[in-house]
Amino acid sequence: MQDRLLPYWLLVPAFIIVLATTIYPLAYSFITSFRAWDMTESRSPQGFVGFDNYIYAASESAFLNSLWVTFIFVIASVTLTVVLAMALALLLRRKGPMHTFTRIILILPFAMSPALIGVSYRFMFNPEFGVLAKGLGAIFPSLQGVPWLADPDLAMGILVLTDVWHWTPYMTFMCLGGLASIPKETEEAARIDGASNLRIVFGIILPQMRGVILVMAVLKTIFALKMFDQVVTLTGGGPGTSTETLAYFIFNVGFRWFDMGYASALAWILTAIMMFISTWYVRMLLSERKMATA
Amino acid sequence: MKTLTSAIAIAASFYGAQAFAWEATEGRPFEGQTVNVLAVKSSQFEAQEARLAEFEEATGIDVVYDYVPFPNMKEALTTEMVAGGNYDVVSVMDQWVASLQMLLQPIGAEMEAQGTDLSDFPAAHLRQGMLDGELIGLPVRGHVQLLFYRKDLLEAAGVAPPQTWEDMATVAKAIQDTSDAAGIALPYGKLNGQNMMVWMNLLWGNGGDLFDAQGNPAFNSAAGVAATETYVGYLAEEIVPAGSAVFVEQDAVTSFKQGNSAMLPVWWWVRSQLTDPEQSTLTADQVGFTAMPSVAGADRTTFTNTWIFGVTRESDVKGAATEFLGWLTDPALERDILLDPELDEVVAVHISNLTDAEVNERWGGMHQAAADALATAEGVEFGDNWPRISLIIETAISSLASGEETDVQAVLDKAVEGIAAIR
Repeated sequence: MQDRLLPYWLLVPAFIIVLATTIYPLAYSFITSFRAWDMTESRSPQGFVGFDNYIYAASESAFLNSLWVTFIFVIASVTLTVVLAMALALLLRRKGPMHTFTRIILILPFAMSPALIGVSYRFMFNPEFGVLAKGLGAIFPSLQGVPWLADPDLAMGILVLTDVWHWTPYMTFMCLGGLASIPKETEEAARIDGASNLRIVFGIILPQMRGVILVMAVLKTIFALKMFDQVVTLTGGGPGTSTETLAYFIFNVGFRWFDMGYASALAWILTAIMMFISTWYVRMLLSERKMATA
Repeated sequence: MKTLTSAIAIAASFYGAQAFAWEATEGRPFEGQTVNVLAVKSSQFEAQEARLAEFEEATGIDVVYDYVPFPNMKEALTTEMVAGGNYDVVSVMDQWVASLQMLLQPIGAEMEAQGTDLSDFPAAHLRQGMLDGELIGLPVRGHVQLLFYRKDLLEAAGVAPPQTWEDMATVAKAIQDTSDAAGIALPYGKLNGQNMMVWMNLLWGNGGDLFDAQGNPAFNSAAGVAATETYVGYLAEEIVPAGSAVFVEQDAVTSFKQGNSAMLPVWWWVRSQLTDPEQSTLTADQVGFTAMPSVAGADRTTFTNTWIFGVTRESDVKGAATEFLGWLTDPALERDILLDPELDEVVAVHISNLTDAEVNERWGGMHQAAADALATAEGVEFGDNWPRISLIIETAISSLASGEETDVQAVLDKAVEGIAAIR
């Protein structure tokens, strides 16, 4: 009897920690999303307002703008990261001293704090003294003095660039792991049959990497949906509202405007989007496994 | 060296204590109590803390300071307001006061008992400690704007510092004709409403204001449009550095310090940075200052920034806390720090110190210039929706500066609508 219960008892500390740090805050914020809570007026949530916070979100232009900005950011960031990571992994999968060295230094961007990346890029793109702004101006004279972060499209491009720079190394290592699991025999057989490198990549490697790419894309999508740090330190959501992502907007509503009820509703909208993507991913993965075992 | 400096500071505090007007409550009624203070990290507050021995000895009250860097200060205050109970005295920036109204309690009667002379505070600073007609905090740190300029570049161009905003473009262009520096460094980017702080002077100078008498947003008036067109127009006139559309205040300051701009309207406390050899390429001889330009025919104005100190609602030692506030806001303590040769502290919020001959002699008349500006400065009434209002206005200015939007009237109308729609 004791032996049978022991595993459950051993799980209790972990369960309590998860309950206190994840389940309780989630449940609390979910309930709060149906209440009014202006923190400048009350220390605790005020009356229930039904779906008012969600209905207000659907009509608020600032929220809709942040949703659109996030959509653009996610599409650009995920696509570029996955493509670049795959390309780098293909280049780095061969063994050799230079490849080992490159793999080591490749991890450095991922080791950097996202907030620090934002600050660094802000400096580097400063048209007066930024090394990248000056360097680009020296190579391409027409780019001299371009106010990179002052243009809404360029600012979004640079925000995407910082995120791609940050995440590509990690995703490259995921790809390298996936590439290592592909049997070498199929590739060798294709080479013997005279297949070109391009044909091998698109005909043999990529189909077998489908599962890994799917995992990468979903993970990167979830991370991109939460984009916050670089927005704060690189663009401040500007110029105008051109880089105001959903996570940054939620932060403003909750911690600058103290409208906790509305902020909770927005956070749950973001959570719902991520849950939808995660569910879709699990279904895709499961169907793929079924196909593999069939 | 640090120990030596502290020893000098403490010694100076005992010396300076002789001049203090503040007097401890007779009978040391709060002896043995501890006042916990939450303050934003600032060398001025550290200088005050270094002089605590005199207060603690006179009252028997222990004072314990905790410092939080500025970027985290609002979160720390919010936590204190919601969770409560850790601090008795807190420093709060003017723009946060209304939204943190549940944090502070009225202290009018207590400060009157302490003999605090409220008339010695400039109105623009003092109003930030008032909420619904009650005194909830006293100004301890306050800033005004000054126009800093490169003496050498203006001299080479044969021009004097502009006295009006109308002159600004002419002077800036004259400087640009004779040097590589941009005429003036201004912030147009988004960060804590910084791009509004110079723009507000133009708004006031043109006879406009943010809100009308009924409290409705009114900056889309003809005065608001004129102010915005002038401010954003400096970008088109190319008298500001490239990239200014996203400059925040620190970028503008850096541009000036690196010799890339000839004029800089900014908070007065920045002065020490401008000639600090570790941060700047400029020497003290190169940098001059004057009051902010006015709009022709209008009074001088300045946007102000004020930090008040107040007593928390959850404090169990209100008596000791207000006694500490009485000491902290004594003009003699402020003067002692201003004249301490070991320190480089310029900040003053007492009219008696701003106009003090010895203070002005040490700081080259900067305080009198501040007093002149404060004499007609009204300050802004920051309501509890200010963070959101500020974001809407700074976004509007940023949109126009970046070229994302071009119709000034339409952008200001949209911003006014956005503010009116705040729930």
